[in-house]
Amino acid sequence: MTDSQPSPSFLARHEFLIRRLHSLSGLIPVGAYMVVHLLTNASVLAGAATFQANVDRIHSLGPILPLVEWTFIFIPILFHAILGVAFIWGAVPNTSDYPYSSNIRYMLQRATGMIAFAFIAFHIWHLHKYGEPFGGGAFDPHHATSTAGTAIQSALWIQLAYAVGVLACVYHLANGIWTMGITWGVWTSSEAQRKASYACGGFGVLLAVVGLAALSGFRMVDVEEAAAVEDRLETHRKIAEGEVAWGEEESTEEGSETSGDSPDVSSP
Amino acid sequence: MISPAKQSIPDVFDVRILRQDGPGEKSYWERHRVTHQPDMNVISVLQQIAARAETEEGKKVSPVAWDCNCLEEVCGACTMLVNGRTRQACSALVDNLLQEQPDGIELRPMSKFPVVRDLVVQRDRLFRALKKVKAWVSVDGYFDRGPGPQQSPADQQTAYPLSQCMSCGCCLEACPQYTKIEVTRREGESEADFKKREAAAFDRGFIGAHAISQAILFNIHPTGKMNAGERLDALTSEGGLQICGNAQNCVAVCPKSIPLTTSIARAGRATTLHSLKKFFDR
Amino acid sequence: MPKQRVMVVGGGLAGLAATMRFAEMGIPVDLMSLTPVKRSHSVCAQGGINSVNDQTRQLGDSEWKHFDDTVYGGDFLQHQPPVHEMALWAPRIIDLMDRLGVPFNRTPEGYRDQRRFGGTLYKRTAFSGATTGQQLLYALDEQVRRWEAEGLVTKYEFWDFLGPILDDNGICRGCVGQNLTDMEIRSFPADAVVLATGGCGLIYGRSTMSMACNGSAVSRAFQHGALYGNGEFVQVHPTAVPGADKLRLMSESARGEGGRVWVPRKPQDPRDPREIPEAERYFFLEERYPAYGNLVPRDIATREIFNVCIYEGLSVEKERPCVYLDLTHLPRTTLDLKLGGILEIYEKFQGVDPRDVPMKIFPAVHYTMGGLWADYERTSEGRLDIGSPKNQATNIPGLFAIGECDYQYHGANRLGANSLLSCIFSGLIVAPGIENLLKSSSHGASDDQPSSLWNAAQEKYQQEHDALLNRSGGGENPYLIHQELGETMTKAATVVRHNRDLSAALEKVRELQERTSRCSLSDTGNWTNQNVVFTKALQDMFPLAKTILEGALARDECRGAHFKPDFTMPGIEAEDPAERRREAEKWCDRFAENTKKWLKSTVAECGTDSEPKLRYEDVDTSLIPPRPRLYGLVGAEVIEEVWKERVAAGSQATSSRPNGEKAEATKHSPSTVG
Repeated sequence: MTDSQPSPSFLARHEFLIRRLHSLSGLIPVGAYMVVHLLTNASVLAGAATFQANVDRIHSLGPILPLVEWTFIFIPILFHAILGVAFIWGAVPNTSDYPYSSNIRYMLQRATGMIAFAFIAFHIWHLHKYGEPFGGGAFDPHHATSTAGTAIQSALWIQLAYAVGVLACVYHLANGIWTMGITWGVWTSSEAQRKASYACGGFGVLLAVVGLAALSGFRMVDVEEAAAVEDRLETHRKIAEGEVAWGEEESTEEGSETSGDSPDVSSP
Repeated sequence: MISPAKQSIPDVFDVRILRQDGPGEKSYWERHRVTHQPDMNVISVLQQIAARAETEEGKKVSPVAWDCNCLEEVCGACTMLVNGRTRQACSALVDNLLQEQPDGIELRPMSKFPVVRDLVVQRDRLFRALKKVKAWVSVDGYFDRGPGPQQSPADQQTAYPLSQCMSCGCCLEACPQYTKIEVTRREGESEADFKKREAAAFDRGFIGAHAISQAILFNIHPTGKMNAGERLDALTSEGGLQICGNAQNCVAVCPKSIPLTTSIARAGRATTLHSLKKFFDR
Repeated sequence: MPKQRVMVVGGGLAGLAATMRFAEMGIPVDLMSLTPVKRSHSVCAQGGINSVNDQTRQLGDSEWKHFDDTVYGGDFLQHQPPVHEMALWAPRIIDLMDRLGVPFNRTPEGYRDQRRFGGTLYKRTAFSGATTGQQLLYALDEQVRRWEAEGLVTKYEFWDFLGPILDDNGICRGCVGQNLTDMEIRSFPADAVVLATGGCGLIYGRSTMSMACNGSAVSRAFQHGALYGNGEFVQVHPTAVPGADKLRLMSESARGEGGRVWVPRKPQDPRDPREIPEAERYFFLEERYPAYGNLVPRDIATREIFNVCIYEGLSVEKERPCVYLDLTHLPRTTLDLKLGGILEIYEKFQGVDPRDVPMKIFPAVHYTMGGLWADYERTSEGRLDIGSPKNQATNIPGLFAIGECDYQYHGANRLGANSLLSCIFSGLIVAPGIENLLKSSSHGASDDQPSSLWNAAQEKYQQEHDALLNRSGGGENPYLIHQELGETMTKAATVVRHNRDLSAALEKVRELQERTSRCSLSDTGNWTNQNVVFTKALQDMFPLAKTILEGALARDECRGAHFKPDFTMPGIEAEDPAERRREAEKWCDRFAENTKKWLKSTVAECGTDSEPKLRYEDVDTSLIPPRPRLYGLVGAEVIEEVWKERVAAGSQATSSRPNGEKAEATKHSPSTVG
């Protein structure tokens, strides 16, 4: 049979595995990371100190943070996104002839995937320190709320871009979980698939609320007030770490550890 | 005669047909005028066009070529795009079509298969996929060995709908992940070599919902089950189940209402377990 | 030893069964078909497949009774040994199909379920939803695909059989085919050619048959000297749904599951059928045939529906004859489960739900009992000698016929759910016979033939083809001539036949044939030219059409599906017992006389002018002596009484086998299905 045929390429031989890894990477770690990320961001609604504390906890990883970022975030996202674009390339969308809801969802899954890819790239340029050499990188982890708030509030189009981007990501994840359940054979009957679509829809709505709440949190935050809180927290942190001499204040060792402290209480 | 709301059906109506003289040729639209008769379907429209062989402008043309056989939607031959949607021409009733779109009927060949001529397409790839998944029960022989295995009515009722697949190709035509593969014979290539090369090209492309469903049908059969692993291997090879993008058009357009997406999900589960087992067993 | 191979033409149940068996024996097969084999007409068979089974056996059924029902239903016009053998094999054939994965309906305990069909009192019919033919065909299609993957089967789909290739000794050495895509004409050497090309319903224009059932392959063999048997016996199915392009079958199973046939007592009652009270409905089958009710044999149901509409004026609609077939009293779940497929077809093509509204139906041409004359090898016990190359052989050596295109199994009328059986059976048994033929040295091999044989045949058809393409305008349109042929045949040679109509139809058909020679083609190209293929098929319809008409004209009697009102044998009207007795004696005399004269198969030979010449062949009725068919006849009891007395008195010498003797059946059970 195969005697005269050229032997298939690596990609062809492992097409099933690659597609399944693509499917899996969308949920773990990318999707899971996104949920955590949005929840963390939404904590800005609880005040600058809370958010700062959350950010600090992430950054407490110190020098190994970039390793963690690349292993669990950037590489999986790149893997998922680049393959995703390649897969989209081969397909022929046909919603105009077959305007069924599942077909529209299929089309949206691909459209939101592309939007999400572009948005994430923009988002990293815009806020992450890797964007700094290119005129971005507005986010300072030690002044999380104020720098993020400033960046978001700088222009209406940025807010719109974030809204669209976040919603695209949320849709892509929620619908992705639904299709993943079929791909991996979790929900098989049409009845089970229907129920799962409600569950995934509900999850999507919740996550969208979280995402938009985070966005509106950054949009509404008082940057100066937040900066003040962050400065104080930074001072505390430095004292705690012994970078700064003992001052007039009492030591707040747990200040750098806990996130529950209200900035009002600890104000002088 | 049953629905009183029916608009009056015109005595004559227009039929636009996308014609193509042969593979690789340019396609072109042609307009025909057809006289309305009671109980008409698209087949009787094409029969009238063939008998008349004259366009609306009075130009003599060769009859439009199309494929059909049973005319009762069980043979799967007459699939085409009627008003843009894939379906069987025999069950496309003219009165209903004119209700939906009073300015006439539009006919095109299926777009995912190479056009042979006019509305006739070559669907060898579809049957090739059935070979790939070994869609048969591998019995020892055809001598008498008593009855087949006992089966519960519930199992029969699961298998029966899947077994009604008539290989019409609607699910493939409507699938956004299923793309056309047209292989042309090279200069000096023998028929056999060409067929071999074509089959290999087909094998690399998406296998399609119909074949996935047939693999499931034989994997749930008590005897067919014995070769379940081979079928799952086929489903996880290049062009296999993994290409499915869950648009679920297949199940929406299937003229036999076969639960194709359930088959796909069942295949998803089976291949997941099969792959894990293979990974840990090696 | 030269490489031997077999050509099977036609990929329905019979052709696929044969192909599968050849492949199993290791004989390479070429399989030629007008359509992809999975799309063959067998898919249209809805109801089921008959065999004795464990359940009916315990109620007194046996292979012998199945055999008896088949020959009785066929009015004794079939040679009995092959039919006997078929009934014996039937249970094993169903077992085989079951093993191949056919999803037969199941009982709660997991056994195959059975339903009752017309012409029998037993629940003998195994079924798979309402698409049994489709399911059986798919199982065989799958097996053939398996052999194709193994390289033993080569399919030539979208190829037209143009004719057999005969050597100087008149032995069939292969055939010529034409590729319907690129119009290539090619010779196929073969050591045996098996025709399995089905019926010829398209001669009647619209019928329940598929568009491939044009009879062209059979006609081409006929025109090469193959004999054609019992052409005039064409089954008209009692229940079909009228449509513009074809008449769609409504399976007998609709009646088997409890469907009732009726018309309003008031002609063309304008009321909604659901509002007509029971008392004002005329259940004419139930009233006239209390024992069988709606499940009378097909010919009787057909004639009664025809009579009620045409002669009694009780048709539901005025402009178009039809009666109600009513399922609305049955529970929806039962209907969906057992008849889902066929009800969907009605709904799809008529736009009305038959679960809510009674269906409108009328008879339509459905099955050709007649076909190529085929031989068989009888054993001394009246069975078939499996493995004999004579089985299913036509009179042309090396050319075989199986399935609907042979004349062998159904006599004057076919029993419901027996066609699937006869197709698979004849397909399975043709293979061992041909295997022996190939082994025998006398036959010689096609490989040893000079290449001039193939070239000459190919050349001849190529010239004919080119001539047809280049024929300059005679102005006739093949499609319109086909319509006229259909109308002519339907009017003269379906349910009721009169000699004057048949003679007139013959004249008309000759005229149409002459006009066809003046057909001009609207497509003169050589790429997927359906126009020229259709015209060729049309030309070849005329020899068969004339065979049907001539056979019907000559046969001055009523038998099975062939009904001539001028030659009926009326029942016993007298009241007085003595007088009744006398009339019954006279009736039986006349019956015996008629049997002597007409219990003969019509065998047609095609003359050079394409006119059929008829002769008659005696029928082997050695196993079950002919007896009158008395369904619904007035005075049937007294006739039966007289007849039984005569049989008892007359034939004590020929020890008549008691019906349904179980030991008999099992003793001779074939050891294998293949």
